[in-house]
Parts: sequence; structure tokens; C-alpha cells
Amino acid sequence: MNCECSRQHSDLSLLEPVFAEYADVKGSLITILQHAQEIYGYLPSDVIYCIAERTGETPARVFGVATFYTQFRFQPVGKYLIMLCDGTACHVNGSARIAAAVQEYLHVENGGTTEDGLFSFSIVACLGCCSLSPVMMINDSTYGSLTPELVLEILKDIQAKEAAE
Amino acid sequence: MNQIHITINGVPCTCAEGTSILHAAQQNGIEIPNLCNDDSVRVYGACGLCAVEVLDDGRGRPVPKLLRACSAKAMDGYVIRFDTERVNRSRKIALELLMSDHTGDCRGPCQLNCPAGTDCQGYVKKIAQRDFRSAVEIIKEKIPLPASIGRVCPHPCEQNCRRGMVEAPLSIAFLKAHAADRDLAGDTYRPEPAADTGKQISVVGGGPAGLTAAYYLRLKGHSVTVYDAAAKMGGMLRYGIPAYRLPKDVLDREIAEIAGLGITMKNHVRIGADVTLEQLRRQSDAVILAAGAWSSMQMRVPGEALDGVTGGIQFLHDISSGEGEIPDLTGKKVAVCGGGNTAMDACRTAIRCGAETVYVIYRRTRSEMPAEDIEIEESVEEGVTYKFLTNPAEIIGENGRVKQIRLQIMELGEPDASGRRSPVPVAGAFETLDVDLVIMAIGQKPDPAGLDGVTLTKKGTVEADPATFLTNLPDVYAVGDLTNRGASIAIEAIGEAGRCAAVVDSALRGEMHPYRAPYYSRKNVTAEDLADREKQPRCQMPVRPAAERAKDFAPVTLGLTDDTAAAEAKRCLECGCHDYADCKLIRYAQQQEIHPERLSGVKHTPEKERRLVCIERDNGKCILCGLCVRICDEAAEKGILGLVGRGFPTAVRPEFRDPAVAEYCKTCQKCALACPTGALKILKD
Amino acid sequence: MSRRIAVGQGSCGIAAGAHKVASALLPLLAGKDITLSTVGCIGMCWLEPIVDLYEDDRLLARLVKVQPQHTAAIAEAVITGDLSGVADLMITPEDNAFLTQQTRIALRNCGIIDPESIESAKQAGAYSAIGRILSAENGMTPEDVIECIKVSGLAGRGGAGFPTWFKWNAARQAAGDEKYLICNADEGDPGAFMDRAVIESDPHTLIEGMLIGAYAIGAQEAIVYVRAEYPLAIKRLEQAIFEAREAGYIGKNIMGSDFSCEFRIKAGAGAFVCGEETALIESLQGQRGMPRLKPPFPAQSGYWNKPSNINNVETFANVAWIITNGGEAFAAMGTEDSKGTKVFALTGKIRRGGLVEIPMGMTLRQVIFDIGGGIRDGGTFKAVQMGGPSGGCIPASLLDTVIDYKKLAATGAIMGSGGMVVMDDSTCMVSMAKFFLDFTAKESCGKCVHCRIGTKRLQEILTRIVEGEGQDGDIELMEELCNAVRDGALCGLGQTAPNPVLSTLRYFRAEFEAHIREKRCPSHTCTALLHYAIDPEKCRGCTACARNCPVYAISGAVREAHEIAPEACIHCGKCMTVCKFGAVTVQ
Repeated sequence: MNCECSRQHSDLSLLEPVFAEYADVKGSLITILQHAQEIYGYLPSDVIYCIAERTGETPARVFGVATFYTQFRFQPVGKYLIMLCDGTACHVNGSARIAAAVQEYLHVENGGTTEDGLFSFSIVACLGCCSLSPVMMINDSTYGSLTPELVLEILKDIQAKEAAE
Repeated sequence: MNQIHITINGVPCTCAEGTSILHAAQQNGIEIPNLCNDDSVRVYGACGLCAVEVLDDGRGRPVPKLLRACSAKAMDGYVIRFDTERVNRSRKIALELLMSDHTGDCRGPCQLNCPAGTDCQGYVKKIAQRDFRSAVEIIKEKIPLPASIGRVCPHPCEQNCRRGMVEAPLSIAFLKAHAADRDLAGDTYRPEPAADTGKQISVVGGGPAGLTAAYYLRLKGHSVTVYDAAAKMGGMLRYGIPAYRLPKDVLDREIAEIAGLGITMKNHVRIGADVTLEQLRRQSDAVILAAGAWSSMQMRVPGEALDGVTGGIQFLHDISSGEGEIPDLTGKKVAVCGGGNTAMDACRTAIRCGAETVYVIYRRTRSEMPAEDIEIEESVEEGVTYKFLTNPAEIIGENGRVKQIRLQIMELGEPDASGRRSPVPVAGAFETLDVDLVIMAIGQKPDPAGLDGVTLTKKGTVEADPATFLTNLPDVYAVGDLTNRGASIAIEAIGEAGRCAAVVDSALRGEMHPYRAPYYSRKNVTAEDLADREKQPRCQMPVRPAAERAKDFAPVTLGLTDDTAAAEAKRCLECGCHDYADCKLIRYAQQQEIHPERLSGVKHTPEKERRLVCIERDNGKCILCGLCVRICDEAAEKGILGLVGRGFPTAVRPEFRDPAVAEYCKTCQKCALACPTGALKILKD
Repeated sequence: MSRRIAVGQGSCGIAAGAHKVASALLPLLAGKDITLSTVGCIGMCWLEPIVDLYEDDRLLARLVKVQPQHTAAIAEAVITGDLSGVADLMITPEDNAFLTQQTRIALRNCGIIDPESIESAKQAGAYSAIGRILSAENGMTPEDVIECIKVSGLAGRGGAGFPTWFKWNAARQAAGDEKYLICNADEGDPGAFMDRAVIESDPHTLIEGMLIGAYAIGAQEAIVYVRAEYPLAIKRLEQAIFEAREAGYIGKNIMGSDFSCEFRIKAGAGAFVCGEETALIESLQGQRGMPRLKPPFPAQSGYWNKPSNINNVETFANVAWIITNGGEAFAAMGTEDSKGTKVFALTGKIRRGGLVEIPMGMTLRQVIFDIGGGIRDGGTFKAVQMGGPSGGCIPASLLDTVIDYKKLAATGAIMGSGGMVVMDDSTCMVSMAKFFLDFTAKESCGKCVHCRIGTKRLQEILTRIVEGEGQDGDIELMEELCNAVRDGALCGLGQTAPNPVLSTLRYFRAEFEAHIREKRCPSHTCTALLHYAIDPEKCRGCTACARNCPVYAISGAVREAHEIAPEACIHCGKCMTVCKFGAVTVQ
């Protein structure tokens, strides 16, 4: 990660309000990282170094914390982040078929982003909507009782909407 | 602070209240295995090796769970053990798990392939530093006859040397001979035997096996007597190896060194004839049989009983025991049957005795010959004629004497179990050669005469337990060519004898520890991995011209200079782990029998990083004990190192942008010193 | 008399379209004297979206599976009071039995009150228990509170079932003035969503329970550690904390007493291990969520090394009820060992899946068949998974097991936090074990050897078994590894990680053997072990299978029986899907 940082130039001033609120609050590293990810969509390494400097943590510690939690990403994600639940109930009710449908349709691997940058796909731990299994979230919306056909409909809707814009 | 009383593995201990079990043990001189603990940082509890069982919590009840000694406090009255079956099982599987994700070579392939387990990398390094004395000290931990072995050993070490994948293997054997010659020439290294134990050991046979067993047992303080039927000690080294390969004075000096430890050596004593095994058993605490394999095998072809047919070993022995008296073969035609090193010794000896023509009869082709390449090459230079793909069919005599040998022509068929293409006769194709002498060099077997009451194998060798070296008779051990699979190379016999000596010593001290092959972590390395290595040609051992050397028994090789030796030694790739001697992981792993291969699976990639100017990190060897990270954090207060990721793929990564921080690492190095394995290496400059 | 429409808008309701229903209703009610309110989740997830019609506090009708196109009829019905237009939408008595067989304490307000209104909560009794405790005349000392909880027999609902009073008391007794009360809402067990539902539906009950806990142990600060994957729960809890602070239930001198307590939410960042209390503390402190060694226990040295007490959401949700109704009332429910009620998230191949709260002592059969309606789609019950990655599978033969901490533990499963995933005969138990080990291996924090490498190796062995590469001795090796991990792992999560393997091995060993020895998956789940064939009698030679086979493994002339080349087949099942004649069979 060291090597890319010189090539990254994030607008670090966007972090100022976050630092103003949390930099001096003990134990706020995760919260700051969460805010940073909301701002940039992921955690660019220059942002991580900046956070280290401003919180008085070492960069190693910040990288250590950030890489521990699955919420944090180190690559930009697509405009739509598809999170497919692979909790027990979803698993039992066929989430694997849904995953296959998404991957086949979008040509995207788990953890990857489509070439057009529109979708990122990620299989995640239980989303807690087990009764609607299989379930996925696209950004903040939850979709339940999925079938491969339904998933394609949802994805096509988004694509159509994007094409219209 | 209140003192409390506990027992650990049966030893009564006291410690202050509130002390962890691990520290309580330490304070009482007991080491509970642990990998992630260091007093300069907080307790962590990752490795799980320090698990202990509390059989009695001081109130008559056991503690149901295993406790981590690093964090559990000792309580008054605790009866703690870390050698119970449950604890051993737990530690065993922890070590197996750790090893299943530990990629590295504890020891280089040279050492792992040396039948005696000689620390080749260790002594080669000393030679590179021109510290020949230290080199010999290292060699003599395994080989008491280094100058001799350095000359005659077919060196499996070199065959497996990874330099071979770059350009050519290191000349390990000659380096050994060079160091040993330098040592013999000056103030020779002679270790001090331990205090006398009063135990008496008889060794039957004064060859490499017998001398080795005697040497190491004497060093342990036992009284040792070696008996040999021949006029002088040395066995096959003396009577089976021609002087042009191993000069007798070199062997004499090495044997004198061994005798110098205070070992009694008795020649002209043949077991069964001059002394019985029973007598030896009565007068000693242990008897080691190491009489070798001196009978040549028969080919079972017609005419084998004719005059002028002899065995390879017989032939070599006769010439060697003649003490310089060389039989005259001038104008004679000699056929040597066989393709091994004895055949080579025999054919080259025959040349030196003036033979006009010397044939080597071998049923396969040159590439299948078990003899060493250099031997074949030099024999060709000296004028030996090879008859490949031929096999003796009949030895034809006249008046009871050899006249001709009839050879069946062979061709290579399908590969056999060993992978070599097996020779098959070509129907009706024969060739007949005129010969005066036929030497059968197709193998040797022991002569069991005099070994009354000792159980033999089907092959006629002495049956000895592979772990205890015991024969069927109590306190009678057997090693070397005499035993089990039969004749092999000297270093095999030396290795076995060394291991046997350790077993005998332990038995004489009251508790026998059978030999168990130590576990070593190994890494698969391919030529591709070494593609970036600079090519450095192997040193050439100077030899006398063929025309000159073929006429006498003076040494073929002329020896290395110190400069050549040191330069050659520097070619070593240092495959073995730099931290082997201090590695806690391997020390614990070798304390019990482990089989990590049953848990094999994905591993961390062994990529080496030099991110911290002065410290090289090998992630393949890292066991994620977190000590480096914690020490950098807590003891050095720098926090340069961090854990990244989680779960199995977790790795340690340095992360810093301030060059001054990296500079600091040069002076600190605490992480590398605390690393329980060889994952961190301090680079010298 | 006033009429009200309540739309259930928990996460599942919203996902099922409750928002759209609510938005469609809003304009239809403009100018009418009808309130449209949001409520949380009633727990009947298979019927979402659910719309309740009230007259004052009386439920007139519960309408289920409501879609926007139904809203006109609903508006009409509620305005006129004539419900005949929505008769088709009304819940059936059968479905309603799901609710009537429950005893709701933790869920008492869920799906009934408006989670975004403190007034609605107060009408349902929120903050009366803390009010009573803090009242000047007949208040309760912290010791009284702890005693009351002790009498109730309340045990930790997060999974371990440790007596709550004991933890409170330890934290109370611990030296130091600065103490913390923490709520573990990092509900990470796949298949469990009780905590999410409680926070989304009734946040004030949680806040009140935590206030009582904070009072009991002497904490000045209460922290809720919530999964980041629960945005709605976080939003509603933030709102509830804001309102409670405005109303004087949070902050300095609560309700005029000496008791002061601050509240804070901390969002987790995605790490199952943070459900372990010491890892949770590390995470709260902004560190990698790696468990600490115990001792010291959090009650002595927890958050910032201060005495801390951690309980889970459901535990706190019971507290105010216990104070109000008395410990004895709670203890009157349940069994000898397990008191009160327990919430379960009933999911999987079940007809009526959702949230269930039942008194301890009911049998699994009652919950799964009487309340849950048994297996859906005509399947046969095979097992129920309880306790998620720390739990195990209970087979049909043990369906009469009583729900009780000890009785469940004896089966090899655990009570757990309440996930109850029902499986039918189409579920392969080997791949189920693998599913959980995939999970724990991925979620292992990586600190201790046994969990980091041990779970990885278990997962690898299970993977090779489902892929048809299982070897003789794998079962024994797994058992050995499981025991080692259980004995040697550092934290509770590692120690329980082998449970899904051990329990499936215990009850479904034959399935493992079939996979390993016969290379056969009896439930026809493990793709690599499926063998497809074409029945020549049924095949019409339409070529559909051959044309759709991605690896061209099917051959045959038109109008003649086709054939699958077994060595080329990748077991994808495409042929079976496209065959219109049912000629493709799988073994």
C-alpha cells in the first residue's frame, strides 16, 4: 500500500469536519474510518496516512484496524454496491443460485466491480432479513425473496435508469 | 506478597501470589513451552503451547479446562503438569497446525540428505570465513574421519545442493577434506571426553561404523575397546578404497586422532576365532557389532569358480593389504563386472597394476551407472574400456583358468520400479572377449561367522532394530554394512553409528531413548525460484594428468588452496534457516513426534520483504505470534509494525513514511531478536 | 373514537414493500381524521407487508401481504369502518395462531408501538420501571435491583446463558468510580435477527433496560455497539436516544434523581468476533477486534480497563418488565434451569418464518410445527440448526427436546442467541457443516493458532469432502482437530467453532461416510457428487440438452436418445433444467 500513496491525491480537506468532531475523542478510529469511507467511497491510502497523522496513531495501527473489518474497502466501488447475504437462512434457501445469476449477468467476481464502474458485487455475512431469504442489499435498499429471474429484473431496472440519465 | 506452594510436573515450587503459572515455572527453573510470550510485553495468549493441566486445584478437584500458563495465575496448592497425555496432545496439534503454515527450510538439502546429518551449511560458512578449525569442530559433531570421508564420499549432499539448479553444486566434499587436512596439518582439534562413567563398551569392527561408534561413546565418558580382525584399523576405508583416492597416511592420522581420545584398539582379533561374542558380552556393558560386509556377491554364471575369477572387494583388499606391494598385471586383460563405485575402484586399480586392457562390463548404459560421474570420466581418461549393454553369460576357462568371457548383448526395455529402464537380453546376440582376470564387483554381503546367537535377516545380514539398533540379544547392538539392508556407502555407516552411540549412551545412563528422525520444516524450491541468482562456476579440483596418475597409487587430486576453498564456500546459497539454533518452534516441534503433513493446506506465501532497511521478513516462516508487533509497540514504542487482515490470511506488515523511523530500526532490532522463529533476519549491512 | 393505520416497517417489512404501501396510503388519507403510523416488526415476516387497522387501541383487522394496489380499498375500509373490501387481505386464523401461541415479554411492544415516537412507547409503559426505581418514596437501591434480577433467574440471552445478576453484581462490587454498561447489539449469527427487530421496533425498551443496568452497576455511561449492517436500527436508536434525552431519561440527574447516565451508539464495522465481549471492547476502543485473555474479566477490567458490564439486546429488553412485574413473575415461566421466555428467529424451510417468543420449556416440535407450521413446500423435516456457528444441528429424533439451556446443550447444539434455521431433506448436512466452517474461518480474528489455522484446516477438509475428494480418515482427523480447537482456542467463539462439525458428525455421520466412501451426496446438493444421466425411454432427442450443455458433454442424433459423457460432465445441471420431458435424472 505504501507505493500507491504517492499516486493518490484525495481531497483531504473533506476530512476536517470529521477530525473536528472525533480526532480528540479517545477510541474513535473506527468511527473516523467509517466517516472517511462515506466521504470517499473507500479508504485511499493517503487518507489512511492522513488519519494516522491527525489521530496520533501509527499508520501500521490504522492499516491494521482498517483491514480487520470487512466494512472497509481499499479500492473504489461501483455506483451500486450489491451485497448478497450468505447467512444460514439465505444459504439454505439458495443464495448460491442468486450469486451465480449476478456473476453471470454482470461478469463480476465476488469483491469485484464491473468494467463500467456501475456495480460492485460482494457476498456478505447475514444481513438479518432471514425471513425474506435469499436477500440482497443494493446500496441502502433491501430486496428479499429473490429468484435468479427477479435479480436480473432488478439489475436491468437499474441499468435502464442509468442509461436514461 | 504472600508466597504460595504449587507443584509443576511433580517438582515442588514456590512463588508469589498472583504470579502466572508460566512465570512460576520459570522462577523455579522449569520451562513451559511457549512461543508468544516475552517479558517485555503484555501477555497475549496466541500460541496455545503453554497449555497446562491442573490435576488438583488445591481443594482436591481438577480444573476441567486446560489453562494457558502465560495468563492463568498459580493458586496455592495447584498440582500442575504439562506432560500429561492431554497436554501433549494439545501441544502436538498446536505444533502441527503451526508447522502446516510454516514454509521454510530448517536445514539445507545438503544436511537433510547427508546420511549422517552433517551440518554442511554450517561448516561451509566457516570455511568461507577461513575458520577451518571451527569448520572441523562442526564436522566432527557427526563425522570423526572428515579428511577421509571428504575424499571418498559420493556426497549425497552435493547431489541435492541447490546450487545445482543455478549452475553446479557446491564442492562440499572437497571443502570438508580441505578443512580437515588443514586441521590435521596443524594443532588438530580434539574434543575432550566427558568424565569417566565406568561403563565398558566393546566394538566389533574398526571400519567407519565401528570407529564412529567408539569415538562418540568415548566422548560421552565410556571406556571403549575396538576389535578388528585385520592388521590395521580402518576397515573398508583402508582395504576397500585404493590409495590414489584415500592416501593411507591421511587415514592413519585420523585413526590416531580417534585413538587419542583414549580408545583401546585391538587388531588381529577375529570374533568367533580369537574372542567369542559371549566373552565380549560378559566383559562389557554393551557390545556394538560393526564388522562390515566383506564377501563379494556371486553372479551365478558358469565358470565363476575358475582361477582368475575374483571378487571386487577381494581384489582391492589383496592389493591394499599388500602394503604397497602392487601385483603385476602387465600385459593382462581384465574384465570388471559391475557399474558401482567398487567396480570403478577395481578397474582403475587394475590399470595402475599395469593391465593392458581393462573392460567394464555393465548391463545398462552409462547414464544408469550408479558410480560417480567423475570416477567414470577419470577411468576413461586412464584407458578403461566400457562394454555397455552387456552381461556376463559365461566365463570360459582353459585348464581351470579363465580364458574368455562370453557376454550377452542387452537392450533397454521398459522402466522398472526404480524408474530405470531395465535391460533385457537381445536373443541370440553374444560377444566373447579374451580375458585373464575377471573381477566381480556386483556387491558385498556380510560374513556372519562368529556372530553366534544373533538373528539374521533373509539377506544374511544382522537384524537390528532401526530405532534402537539392538539385535535380538540384550545389550548387543549392530550398525553399518553388517546390518539389515547390507552394504552401503561409508557415510551411511557413520550416520548409523553416531545415532547408535547416542542410543547406547542413553541406555547406559538408565533410560534408553530410541532414535527418532527429527522433524524439519522443508520448502520446495525450483530452478525458477533461483533464476535471479548470479552464476558462479564451481571450483575445479586440480588433478594429476591421466597418463601420470594411471601409473601409480599416489593421490589423483592435488587439493584446494585456502583461497579456492573460501571462494567456493561463498557460493553457498545458505538454504538452511539462519535461526535454526535459536528457533523455539523447531525445538518444541522436535520434542515430540509430529506429522504436520496430515494437516496440509494453504499456506502463507514465503515472500521475503526488505521493507525495513535492516530487517528481512519472511512471511512464510512467520507464525503470527505477534511478538514483533507488540515489541515495536510496547517495548520500542514505535508502532512501525502492524497486523493486517484477519483470520488465516493475517500478516505482519511494516508501515511507515518517516525515514527517521526506519533509521531507528537499525539501532533497535528488538523485534528480530524476540522472533521465536527465523521469520526476521537482521541484515548485516 | 379515532382510527389509525399502522404499517409494519421493520427492515423486512420495508424490503417487502411496506414503504411503498405507506407512501400510497398517505395521500388517500389527506384531510381525513385517520392517523397513519409506523410500527416495527410484529415478527410474522412471511406475511409482510402487514398493515394493522386500529380503532383507539383495539385492533380491528390485520391485513397481510399488502401491496400498493390494495391501498385504496384499505383507505376506504378504514374511513368507512366497513371492512368487507379488505376481507381478502385479512390474516387467516391459522396464520394468526403463530402469534397467539407466544408469550411476549422482550417483544411486548414490537409491531405495536411507533418506534420513532417516545410518546407511543410511554403509552405502552416505557420508563415506568426506571421511574419506579428512581422515585424518592418507594425507590429501589442498586442492590434491590440486582436482587430482583436474581430472583427472576434472567440469564444472558446472547448465547452463553450466564446469570445476569451475577455479572451485574461483579461489576457493582468492582473497585472504581468509572464504570461502563455496554449493550452488545453486534448480532452476527447468520440466521438471527432478534436484536435488530427489537431495536427497530422498540428502542425505548432497550434504553430503559440499559438505564436500569447502568443504575445497578453504577455506570455513568452506556454504549450500544450495533452492527453497521443495521442502518435502520441505528437510525431509530439514535432518534430514541435523542427523544429520551429531551425527555430527561438520559443525561444528568435522570428524573430528578442523583443518577446520571450518558448514552452513545457505536457502529461496528463488520467482524463477527466482536460479538465476543473482550473483542467487542477492543473494537469499542478503536482497535482490531481481537479477544483478550480472561481473566481479567470485563467486570474487573473492561472498556479502557474500567469495570464494564456487557449484556445483549434481548437481555436488556426483559429488564424493565421484570422490575415492573417482579422477578417472581418472570421466574414463574420456564423450567428449573431456564427462566422466562426466549426469542427465536425461525427461518429456513419453514412455512411460517419470523420472530417467536415463547416461554422456556416448550419443545422444539411445538415451536417448529405448532407455531411455525412445519416444513414448507411439502418437504420433510431433517434438522434444526440452533446457535449459529457456535451451535449445532438437532435431528428429527430429538424434536421433543425441551427448550432449556442444559437440555439443548446436551444435544450438542446450544440455546445461542436465538437463530433457529429449519432444514428439510434437501439440505446436505456436510455442506451445512462446511457452510459454518467457511463462516468461522473467515471470521476468525487470527490471533490464536487453534482457531486461525485449525478452523481453516477443518474448512479445507470439509471442502474436499463435498468436492468428492474426501479421504479415509478424514472423519477421525476432523474429530481430532475439533477437540483440539475446542480445548485450545483462546475465546468462546474459537472454542465453539467446531460445534457445527461435531454435531453433524454425531447425528449425520452416515452422510459424511457417503460423501467420502461412495462419493455420493444423499441430499443431491453437492454439485461435484451429482451424476446426471438421460433416460433413453423418455428422451425424445430434441437436442435441447446438447445445445445448452456448456461443455458439450452431451451427444446424440436428432430424435434419438441422447447421452451424457460422465467424464466431461461438470455437474452444472443445465440439461436437467432445459429438458422438457423429465428425461434427465440425477443420482
